[in-house]
Amino acid sequence: MIRVGVDVGGTFTDIVLERSGADSAVVVTKVPSTPHDQSEGVVAGILKVCSLAGVAPGEIDAVFHGTTVATNMVIERAGAKVGMITTRGFRDILHMARHKRPHNFSLQFDLPWQSKPLVRRRDRLVVTERIMPPDGSVAVPLDEDEVKAAAELFAKRGMDAVIVAFLFSFLNDAHEQRAKEIVTSILPDAFVCCSSEVVNTIREYERFSSTAMNAFIGPRTSAYLRNLEGRLRANGIDAMVRIMQSNGGISTIENSSALPIGLLLSGPAGGVIGGRWTGAHCGRDNVITIDIGGTSADISVIEGGELRIKNPRDTEVAGLPVLVPMIDIDAIGAGGGSIAYLDPGGAFRVGPRSAGAVPGPACYGKGGTEPTVTDAQVVLGRMDPEHFLGGDLSIDASLSAKAIEDAIAKPLGMTVEAAALGILKIVNNHMALAINANSVAKGIDPRQFTLMGFGGAGPLHSVSLAEAIHAKDVIAPLHPGITAATGLLVTDLQYEYTQSTVIVLDGASDEAFARVNAVRDELIARANRQLDADGVPAGQRRFRQIAECRYVGQGFELRAEIPDGPLTPASAAAVIDDFFNAHRQVYGHAFRDQSTEMVTLRIVATVAVDTLTLPKLDKGGRTDPEDAVMYRRRTVFDDGRALDTPRYARGKLLADDRVEGPALIIQHNSTTIVPPGYVATVLDYGDMLISRKKG
Amino acid sequence: MTQEVDPITLQVIGGALHSIAEQMGNVLYRMSYSSIIRESQDLGAGLFDRDYNTLCESDSTPMHIGSLPGYLRGIEKTVPLDAWKPGDCVIHNHPYYGASHSPDIGIVMPVFFEGELVGFSANTAHHVDIGAATPGLVIDIPDVYAEGMLLNGLKLFNEGVRNEPLWKYIRDNTRVPSLVMGDLEAQIAAAELGVQRFQQLMATYGKETVLQATRQLMDYTEDMLRREIEKIPDGDYVAEGFLDDDGRNRGVHLPLKVTVKVRGDAVEVDLTGSSAQVPTAFNVPFDGSTKVACYFAFRALLLDTYTHEEYIPQNEGSFRPVKVTAPLGSIFNPIMPAAAEARFSQIQRVVDLIIKALAPVIPEKSTAGNAAVLSFAAYSGVRPSGDYWVFLEVNEAAMGGRPGSDGPDTVEELMRNTRNNPLEDLGMHLPLICDRYEVRDDAPPGAGKFRGGAGVVKSQRYLTPGFMTHESDRNEDAPWGIFGGKDGHCSKVELRNDTTGKLEYQPAKFSGLRTEVGDVVTYYSPTGGGFGDPLERDPQKVLDDVLDGFITVDHARADYGVVLAEVDDGYGFALDREATRALRAQQRGA
Repeated sequence: MIRVGVDVGGTFTDIVLERSGADSAVVVTKVPSTPHDQSEGVVAGILKVCSLAGVAPGEIDAVFHGTTVATNMVIERAGAKVGMITTRGFRDILHMARHKRPHNFSLQFDLPWQSKPLVRRRDRLVVTERIMPPDGSVAVPLDEDEVKAAAELFAKRGMDAVIVAFLFSFLNDAHEQRAKEIVTSILPDAFVCCSSEVVNTIREYERFSSTAMNAFIGPRTSAYLRNLEGRLRANGIDAMVRIMQSNGGISTIENSSALPIGLLLSGPAGGVIGGRWTGAHCGRDNVITIDIGGTSADISVIEGGELRIKNPRDTEVAGLPVLVPMIDIDAIGAGGGSIAYLDPGGAFRVGPRSAGAVPGPACYGKGGTEPTVTDAQVVLGRMDPEHFLGGDLSIDASLSAKAIEDAIAKPLGMTVEAAALGILKIVNNHMALAINANSVAKGIDPRQFTLMGFGGAGPLHSVSLAEAIHAKDVIAPLHPGITAATGLLVTDLQYEYTQSTVIVLDGASDEAFARVNAVRDELIARANRQLDADGVPAGQRRFRQIAECRYVGQGFELRAEIPDGPLTPASAAAVIDDFFNAHRQVYGHAFRDQSTEMVTLRIVATVAVDTLTLPKLDKGGRTDPEDAVMYRRRTVFDDGRALDTPRYARGKLLADDRVEGPALIIQHNSTTIVPPGYVATVLDYGDMLISRKKG
Repeated sequence: MTQEVDPITLQVIGGALHSIAEQMGNVLYRMSYSSIIRESQDLGAGLFDRDYNTLCESDSTPMHIGSLPGYLRGIEKTVPLDAWKPGDCVIHNHPYYGASHSPDIGIVMPVFFEGELVGFSANTAHHVDIGAATPGLVIDIPDVYAEGMLLNGLKLFNEGVRNEPLWKYIRDNTRVPSLVMGDLEAQIAAAELGVQRFQQLMATYGKETVLQATRQLMDYTEDMLRREIEKIPDGDYVAEGFLDDDGRNRGVHLPLKVTVKVRGDAVEVDLTGSSAQVPTAFNVPFDGSTKVACYFAFRALLLDTYTHEEYIPQNEGSFRPVKVTAPLGSIFNPIMPAAAEARFSQIQRVVDLIIKALAPVIPEKSTAGNAAVLSFAAYSGVRPSGDYWVFLEVNEAAMGGRPGSDGPDTVEELMRNTRNNPLEDLGMHLPLICDRYEVRDDAPPGAGKFRGGAGVVKSQRYLTPGFMTHESDRNEDAPWGIFGGKDGHCSKVELRNDTTGKLEYQPAKFSGLRTEVGDVVTYYSPTGGGFGDPLERDPQKVLDDVLDGFITVDHARADYGVVLAEVDDGYGFALDREATRALRAQQRGA
């Protein structure tokens, strides 16, 4: 069995190949990304990893792909020309959004949903129809002639995609389905979807906007995926192709093409899953991951081995709501390229502005004169010029020092080293506050968690961040730079189906249970039809049932597990208990005297795929092994002490080896800092556990 | 003397304070029950020192930001500093003791560190009903006692023990106890969170370091604002307008006059010349609302968060350079027992008039006339069970054109920034159904090089008999155009019965109206004024507005001098550039 994971980043495309069986091996490499068509870099990378591994392209069984194609389309607003058919009287739901502006203290602000709409007002046409709450009865039948006229107009206008979005369609989708049939018959080649198919949940703006986004990215995303498949075939790679989804599962090309909205976190999701998997084989199931890149850092929390899913009220991309399940990943504008400066009031700032790849940090010598976080690391002796990006890039440390001197040290009357330490302290504080907002603020105690920093720069920050948030300890993964690509090889196939199903669970009637169970049966049947189509044997299918609940009268739901089987009075009681615990964890309070209302039923169907097997390292059991030491050099640590610090070659460390701080452990494209008072222990598969020295 | 905190630690503590306020706000709106809090986020939360200075506030609704110090000073009249004990919690809403207005109930908890009172954790939230003369909102009432429960610095918890008689009193005196009591629970949870986080912050960095850092952060914010004020030439800048009426004496306009006195790096807003106080609830509490509006205006104008890259901490420092004067007995500083619940439209106009007064000297930061109003609708009725239902809805309006961009359409402008209530959520729970929610198309936005924002139209239909109160203004004084831009349009309120077809127009504010099955109330918001000469508007943008239905072909020709030609491309019109050039030349000459 040969499987390949491909993760496309802004600068590099990372590739991992795993061969299982007798001659098992794991080979990693990277190639430059090709932003004009990511599939070029993907295929080039696969061919490169094949040659490194001595494998013929035709021997690959499966390719797993994480892509930012869909996300970039939203950010750049480079999507399809979309038309919308909606309920008469409600043409402008997309234009008004939630009528709240994104800035409180601003007169000159921009509303992206008005200045860069997914569907222009001229392309939003209304038709006569009316579904009534709370039961979904039809008050006014659908005027099919109006739908036909709208579709014909869209045909004349040359729309790439059409959405059908009616009020209260989550209660009754008959009008949407009929309108879709009519549109499809008139525009057979257009990408057509209706709101109840994309997200079948209450709240019109969020549902309509999610549907519009699905259509906006639909035609080009499906074209990309088919193009990728074609390019793979043309290069003799006829492997099965699976795409990473925002919810942490993988899906087929067909499904991803129909619901591309599920791909918006396809890029960062791989990192979190890679972090979970790394944690698992290091014996850690409570992990906080932070993936540190050039301009941003992605933070996520894994609790008890489970990914945390973001509350649907918070899931948005580029300021627009996306009502599909996503791993709870928080991106902040802090990374290696973040620029340090003094603002007009004299405050010491770091980021969110970034030097990016061009001009890059001052030390690149590509014209950047403003100091960055990377320059601070260089000045403090934490990144050695000869090992920068594995020696692929030559840098000039004196440019870092000059930039910091001019911008920060001189105006504040500090030494360059003190200013560099300040830059790191401020950027680490940004990251630590963001971690707290994702953990402490959601009822999670970081003292029970391991911090795992990855991305090339992750292990430079890990210990400082762990100290700031009081994490239990730190793990530096085997290959920090390709954790996300690794994650692609350890992900389950996953589909989710939802339906708004509003019932009060306390004292619910038999009729109410029957209604929920009818919905449950239908959702499971839909999941089974999909899994049949994927050829998954019945025995490998797993179903989780989730009730999204609130106290009657509240506006925000939290997830609660429904025990296996149909909903019964007994399992409803279990749901109420689970909701009570979730509410207490998130808000610090929960109520026994309030009724619990289920709002949405969600079925998550998963199929476990093969997991990645890494070779174990030979046993070393040494302390500070001299043969791994490359050289020693001055390094400044967070407490301001400058120490003569050994550099270890990570590739020469063996299992159970201990390296006591102060030390730097260097590998291609990544450096791990072990400050004084800490010790790094190499684990069985080459990951390192860093913890405070005892005594 | 305490030592200066270094710039690095300062950033660290500043970031932590900001994050605490955000978390307090999040807990409050996510846990709460009423749509006005959970969907609209009509709330504020923050931390304060012993001198009642704001150290940080949640980024929720501007109206609440800056109002809490008034609550704390009002509470001191009942609970002096030495009367606080750990675990206490005070409830307060008295508009003559610092509250913003009576429905905005404040919850305050003291923060003790190492046995000493070091500050307060507090929040405010708008409650659906506090037992006033009419459900939800009031306009035409005789005095402050008709506003409902007045809670003046009362301990809701004594050293951690709930005051059960008071809790019961509140439950028994609101029309919707299930919402109000749940919302109070959320407020208490948010305040508790603030207490814990503030204590943790001091445990981490030391009390003196934290307090010194808060002083430096306030100085920093103050300095940033003063630098901007200093750039404005000294002088007295005046703008005037009027309000429709007081909600009882129809046809009697209420004058508004704002004088902005810029002196070096300080500024005074003098409201002398505005109307005397009125005999209805249409007055403005001075500490909790009038002052807050003036603070907001200068932050939004001078430290605009969209054009300023840096985050400037939200604290007391932004209030210090701004002095506010309003004669006692005027609409902006009424004398007890005048009612003062319906105050939002007036303070919106204060902000808008400050912008208008300063526009000639800071055009690049200004706007044309904004809708500068609030449509606050209270729909209510009694269910067959005998329980009341009360729903408060905020209808958005529009902004004026701006120096580099059109005024945003259908948006919460100036002092308000709530979220709308999803129509589907509403439909599932109330005997009310929305029949229309769209961009207003019967009156165009004010023409300009950058046009005003388009307004909104919203129709709600009663499915059972009920009541309605509507708090608004601006049926009579249209948002102004500026620098050659044209005026926007006034608002209107329509009441039509679906069955009988009977149609009548209502004033912008009315209270306690009885409604019947099939009554449809339709609000048409004002549209924003235009900024700059419409003849300078990019003709392509005029075409886009026609194709998008924001304006008509005739309006494009008459006000913008843009001539369109019919084409058969599925959209209908294209630019006739030649004819446009000619028409514009002719209009300029005229």
